[in-house]
Amino acid sequence: MKKGFALVLICLLLLTACSSNSGSKNSGNTAADTGKTENTAATEPAQAKEITIWAWDPAFNIAALEVAKAEYAKTNPDVKINIVEYAQADIIQKLNTGLNSGTTKGLPNIVLIEDYRSQSFLQSYKDSFYDLSSSIKGTDFADYKSGPTSLDGKQYGIPFDSGVTGLYLRTDYLEQAGYKLADLQDIDWKKYIEIGKAVKDKTGKALITLDPNDLGLIRVMIQSAGEWYLKEDGKTPNIAGNAPLKEAFETYKELTESNVAKVHADWSQFVAALNSGDVASVPTGNWITPSITAEASQSGKWGIAPLPKLTVNKSVHASNLGGSSWYVMNVDGKETAADFMAKTFGSNVEMYQKLLTDIGVIGTFKAAAGGEAYSQANEFFSGQKIVSDFAAWTEQIPSVNYGINTYAIEDILIVEMQNYLNGKDIDSVLSDAQAQAESQIK
Amino acid sequence: MHQTNSKLRFRTKSVLTGWSFVLLAVILIFVFYFYPMLQALILSFQTGTGSNLTFTGFDNYSRLLSDKTFIVSVKNTFIYLLVQVPLMIILALFISVLLNDSKLRFKGFFRTAIFLPCVTSLVAYSVVFKYLFSGNGLVNTMLLKLHLVSAPIEWITDPFWAKITIIIAITWRWTGYNMIFYLSALQNIDHSIYEAARIDGASASRQFFGITVPLLKPIILFTSITSTIGTLQLFDEVMNITKGGPGNATQTISQYIYNLSFKYAADFGYAATVSYSIVIMIALLSFIQFKVAGDKNG
Repeated sequence: MKKGFALVLICLLLLTACSSNSGSKNSGNTAADTGKTENTAATEPAQAKEITIWAWDPAFNIAALEVAKAEYAKTNPDVKINIVEYAQADIIQKLNTGLNSGTTKGLPNIVLIEDYRSQSFLQSYKDSFYDLSSSIKGTDFADYKSGPTSLDGKQYGIPFDSGVTGLYLRTDYLEQAGYKLADLQDIDWKKYIEIGKAVKDKTGKALITLDPNDLGLIRVMIQSAGEWYLKEDGKTPNIAGNAPLKEAFETYKELTESNVAKVHADWSQFVAALNSGDVASVPTGNWITPSITAEASQSGKWGIAPLPKLTVNKSVHASNLGGSSWYVMNVDGKETAADFMAKTFGSNVEMYQKLLTDIGVIGTFKAAAGGEAYSQANEFFSGQKIVSDFAAWTEQIPSVNYGINTYAIEDILIVEMQNYLNGKDIDSVLSDAQAQAESQIK
Repeated sequence: MHQTNSKLRFRTKSVLTGWSFVLLAVILIFVFYFYPMLQALILSFQTGTGSNLTFTGFDNYSRLLSDKTFIVSVKNTFIYLLVQVPLMIILALFISVLLNDSKLRFKGFFRTAIFLPCVTSLVAYSVVFKYLFSGNGLVNTMLLKLHLVSAPIEWITDPFWAKITIIIAITWRWTGYNMIFYLSALQNIDHSIYEAARIDGASASRQFFGITVPLLKPIILFTSITSTIGTLQLFDEVMNITKGGPGNATQTISQYIYNLSFKYAADFGYAATVSYSIVIMIALLSFIQFKVAGDKNG
């Protein structure tokens, strides 16, 4: 009996040992993941002197963080900053599971969230993000950024990259088809397709590459007209009777039917299509610049023009695609994290110049746009001052409320888009999508 | 009296000792299997995004029935099930019979080659398949070179071909796995049965259908149930090759659960409901398979 009891005790002891072990591992795993930090948790007991940041894209966001880290170290050398790189999908998963489990262990101090998704996090986990209203001013940043980064009048996010769109063009193909870059200033999508047909005839090259699973182009088009999948309240589906959305769908169909579009299935195929010279243009966010300039042999062959516009609803030649912003989590070390953000991305004009020249990041901090780096000519784009163009367009981007259901609605629309391309009538396409969105979004 | 008392004490002692051996496993099973299952069941009666959950009774379950995306996902999953599982079982059976032939040389090599796919990483092989079947991938290049097609097949971006691609991928990976079960079962069949059949003049196909298949019945049942469960939970291939697209032409139930939890505004309550629908389907299908194919005592 005694032996049996002892065994039970040993088992229980083992169990608790296991669980406490996994707990401590969890809190330290972010440091282990970076591979850069040693065991420093014990060195500074009182004030949080160590913060952890999660972000994706080493060439863009992580590189920007490294610049900010170096900048902050000048005034706060005793704060240790761990930068951890995860894929965006992994960050979303980790955040959701972490926040939902109710334990803040293992969460970072600062996290990068895509603008389309930010409201779903802010609204779903209300007290998990730190109010930055006293650290930064939302009005210091591009206006269209305030929707995604604030909630109930409080500023939660530090607006970061702009996602401002432009029309990247192969000027050499255009010339063969008899067009100059100047011919593509202030055009609408109809004219764009017309030019595309000429390019296809003369060069055999596709005008654009499209992913049937990604309606980014539709998002770009409707935002340029100040509309979204949802109404202003961010809740009511706005699909049936949405004139810009209807025109966007029609334009998309025309693109596929006039034989000027090439199809790709993922990011690497997308970039391959640009770099191999298979397509003559890319209407997308400015974050594509590093991928285009990566193909050095095409230097001098690219130019940028303003985004074509829709014909309805005062559509403008500026839109946004996939920008993101920084968020401070409401966990230990939030003050330090907020201070770091306020002193770097929240105010440092100098740093933004460095971000631009070194990495190509176009921020949304208004004061930075006056800096010298913003008006520099870009050799790859035949000396075009692309950044000052982008910065100017950033100011024109219509502000819309993304709400929390962008991707849920988009998945409905992707299916309806296939139906539309297969011949279903546009009005029933949109009204069916509306009905489905209404039943799914609650 | 003293004697029975000590006997009793010995019995209690041995029972307790026995329990203490399995206690750790029992506790772990309760903590990591039954507790999460119960939690998920409770979660399936709640709605809301993230941590703003409220009890709404059977709302999620009634939503399930009117959810077009869910219905399409179920339909897709069953297409895989109805096409791929029989295809794979028959193929595995066929290959295993070939490889069991005593006259065959390099048996070890062939067995290893066919089994090898199922030890590869799910994600790694999916990514390789994605590139093999991409617009200008190896498969299209070969088909074009051999003049079997005049234009590249849109393996990944066409709704029909995307399904075919997924079916080819899972067949490639799992046939070898099932083959191993059949091989080991075949080796347990006494050779004298075949000899007797041959003497009686039974043809090879007669031997296959008259001896091999009936004797492998329990194994066929086992593999078809595990394959059914595997197919109903299909996720990695679809996620990595087509992401469920084009549209939701290849989306499976598991991928829909992932989308509900992580791609859309985290709706864990509804995701748990969809998960439970898989549990119910697996339970029903396994029950039917046992009834149809199993022995009375199976």
